[in-house]
Amino acid sequence: MEAASAAQGALVHDEHHGPPPANRSSAVEPQMLGMLLFIISEVMVFGAFFAAYFFIRIVGGAEWPAQGTELPVAIAGVNTAILLSSSLTLHWALVSVRAGNRAGLKAGILLTTLLGATFLFIQINEYVHLGFAAQDHAQGTIFFGLTGLHGAHVLIGLVLLIMVTVRSFRGHFSEKSHWGLEVPGIYWHFVDVMWIIVYTTIYIL
Amino acid sequence: MAMKLRAPGWYRATAFVGLGVLFALGLTSAVRAASGLDPVIAGEAWLLVGLIAVPLFFLVGIGCFDYWFRWAAGKPTVPEDHSSHGAHSWRDYFRVNTDHKVIGIQYVVTSFFFLFIGGAVAMIMRAELAQPGTQIVDGQTFNGLFSVHAALLIFLFIIPVFAGLANYVIPLMIGAPDMAFPRLNALSFWMLPVAGTMMVASFLVGPFASGWTAYAPLSTTQPIGQMFFTIGVQFAGASSIATALNFLVTIITMRAPGLSFFRLPLLVWANFSTSLLVVIATPFIAASQFFVLLDYGLGFNFFSASRNGDVLMYQHVFWFYSHPAVYIMMLPGFGIVSEILAVKARKPIFGYRMMAFSLLAIVVLGFTVWAHHMFVSGMQDWIRVPMMVTTAIIAVPTGIKIFSWLATLWRGVLHIDTPMLFALGFLTMFTLGGISGVALAMLPFVIHVSDSYFIVAHIHYVLFGGSLFTVYAGVYYWFPKMTGRMYDETLGKVHFWVTFIMFNVTFAPMHLVGIEGMPRRVSDYPEQFASWNLAISVASIFLGLSTLIFVYNMVSSWVGGPKATANPWRALTLEWQVSSPPPIFNFDAVPTVVGGPYEYGVPGAVHGVFPDPDKDGADAAKQQPATTPSVAQ
Repeated sequence: MEAASAAQGALVHDEHHGPPPANRSSAVEPQMLGMLLFIISEVMVFGAFFAAYFFIRIVGGAEWPAQGTELPVAIAGVNTAILLSSSLTLHWALVSVRAGNRAGLKAGILLTTLLGATFLFIQINEYVHLGFAAQDHAQGTIFFGLTGLHGAHVLIGLVLLIMVTVRSFRGHFSEKSHWGLEVPGIYWHFVDVMWIIVYTTIYIL
Repeated sequence: MAMKLRAPGWYRATAFVGLGVLFALGLTSAVRAASGLDPVIAGEAWLLVGLIAVPLFFLVGIGCFDYWFRWAAGKPTVPEDHSSHGAHSWRDYFRVNTDHKVIGIQYVVTSFFFLFIGGAVAMIMRAELAQPGTQIVDGQTFNGLFSVHAALLIFLFIIPVFAGLANYVIPLMIGAPDMAFPRLNALSFWMLPVAGTMMVASFLVGPFASGWTAYAPLSTTQPIGQMFFTIGVQFAGASSIATALNFLVTIITMRAPGLSFFRLPLLVWANFSTSLLVVIATPFIAASQFFVLLDYGLGFNFFSASRNGDVLMYQHVFWFYSHPAVYIMMLPGFGIVSEILAVKARKPIFGYRMMAFSLLAIVVLGFTVWAHHMFVSGMQDWIRVPMMVTTAIIAVPTGIKIFSWLATLWRGVLHIDTPMLFALGFLTMFTLGGISGVALAMLPFVIHVSDSYFIVAHIHYVLFGGSLFTVYAGVYYWFPKMTGRMYDETLGKVHFWVTFIMFNVTFAPMHLVGIEGMPRRVSDYPEQFASWNLAISVASIFLGLSTLIFVYNMVSSWVGGPKATANPWRALTLEWQVSSPPPIFNFDAVPTVVGGPYEYGVPGAVHGVFPDPDKDGADAAKQQPATTPSVAQ
């Protein structure tokens, strides 16, 4: 009896390449829920930076805008359009993979990555030519703080997109299984939406 | 050797730490050379970048990212073979392991390690404070001592130890084989020793000395030791957010069939609420420390008043996290006590739904009271009264819990063993701390005692008498489940009584000297407080020594204690229905939940039903069949 159960145990162990499946008590995909919760905490990081922005601008009553801090609203507006269009191409990639269109998936995800990189490049170019620095005054600090925080998130999003691109070209993802595209995709959409808020607050208000 | 360097583990981690040091040197030198700064090699810049880079290199080296790197590159990932699952010897606790039971024990042991360091630091402080004048340490070192004490005990003990206990217990309680993201769970753990080592290592360069609150602009103008706090907190915070996210996803998506939210044990509810707080609030402290880091390292002006920076903004952002953080440090303890009181009184918990709702009420109200830490900071006057009112209101859900626990005890048959003693000790001490907390909400009073020893007394009554007592209660309660051994009951009781009495002798007089005006965070004091302080210092030595009883009991019982049965407390919740320690994947088959978790003394009540192992042909020896509730009392 003992030997039999031991043999059975070994058999069970060979079959098991992981924990037995857990009961699924929610219709939400765990990876997606995890990403949404992560986005909530990211929103709060931005919230803290916006708090700093309004403390410096309104509660502190600093001169606004400080002398010599005119921002290139139009160029940043074009940049906004570039970033927003990357959300569309990303959605195209998702629609393509759902329809089994691999060429569309590859083109969409590659285009998204390139648009994101373009956005980042233009923003760095803007930093170089602005004519004021974060070290000059708190107004400059919070400009670089908020846009820099967003830029860091674009960078994280780009790293995720590059991973997805590599995996797309290596033949991953199918009509049925594409969470590896959809979950980073949600993060990229969040980065885009957050840019609209950052742009509106900093450049327009 | 080359093999050892390629495989994840301590050899590779050591090599990567070296790489990280070189990387920091290369990066700072390159940037300084490019921007024409002299000298090219600057020690402080190197150290500052190293503080960020070396931990990341270490985490890669020890093996936290191996799977993800393969996955990201689209390479075939090694299927989770779980060769690393479970611990077969003590060495396995020093490796990256994805088993929630191993991670739970890693968490608890690591955080207790930092408790002892933080406690030892407190002993040095009390030695300095035993007499007026300067005896052992100078002012700046004393500031460093209390800063490291608080930072370690808050960020490296209380918050992670609760995460550790929950890590062990929650998947078992909800009938899941593991957490939702086991690899993220391992990463969250390994960030902790990094953060703790960093904070302790600040003693090498002169410890950070601006308190655990690190108010700007004090923190932005301190010596480099301050950055060990600023960056260490980032790692502790990231760990805490990742764990909280993991708990939330686990609790929402992995509950056993039939385990609806209102059948969850209150420990699960408590950690659910805590995790909500962590996910929403912790990013604020991350941001506040980013501000300090940018001001300090790159000369930004968030807090330079002469350049339009706003100093009070730091306090607002900091307390918007750190007030909810006091509930992060308390709610899991509420959960532990709810488990223990119901089991040990052999009665259903009183007002189960109100207990759950009051947790959620605390989560919501916790975000509305932060400025009561700033009543004397010079902020706008109109914020004061609303904050006073919300602070008083938040005592209501807490009061609901206290009265529900008392009603649970009412006419119960109390089993007064060590976990129960600590739970009862918590109930009394936390109530005292809560009462002084309500007193502190009152503006006229708090302006009088702000920054005095009354505050020190209050926070130690809620964090030591409150949180630490629940930690002890929880560790004793789940010790048989975690280790498969029983602890020594007599030593446990001795530990409780020494701790309980000496805790009160140490901290109760602080109320008195505080009201008389002894300021906190100062290494010297007037002659009039000398006798009380001597008494406090003597008592604190015994309080410190009492932890040795605990350590001896835990270590000797783990090594050679009598074997524990599966369910020594006759509890109903699922973790007690499997063997001690539980099988490697917790359950051979997912149990079904058919009733509430606390139906002690209710005839015929059943919480979890296990599939009949014989029918499924599974290994019959591993599990008890369905849980017939033990006859109550």
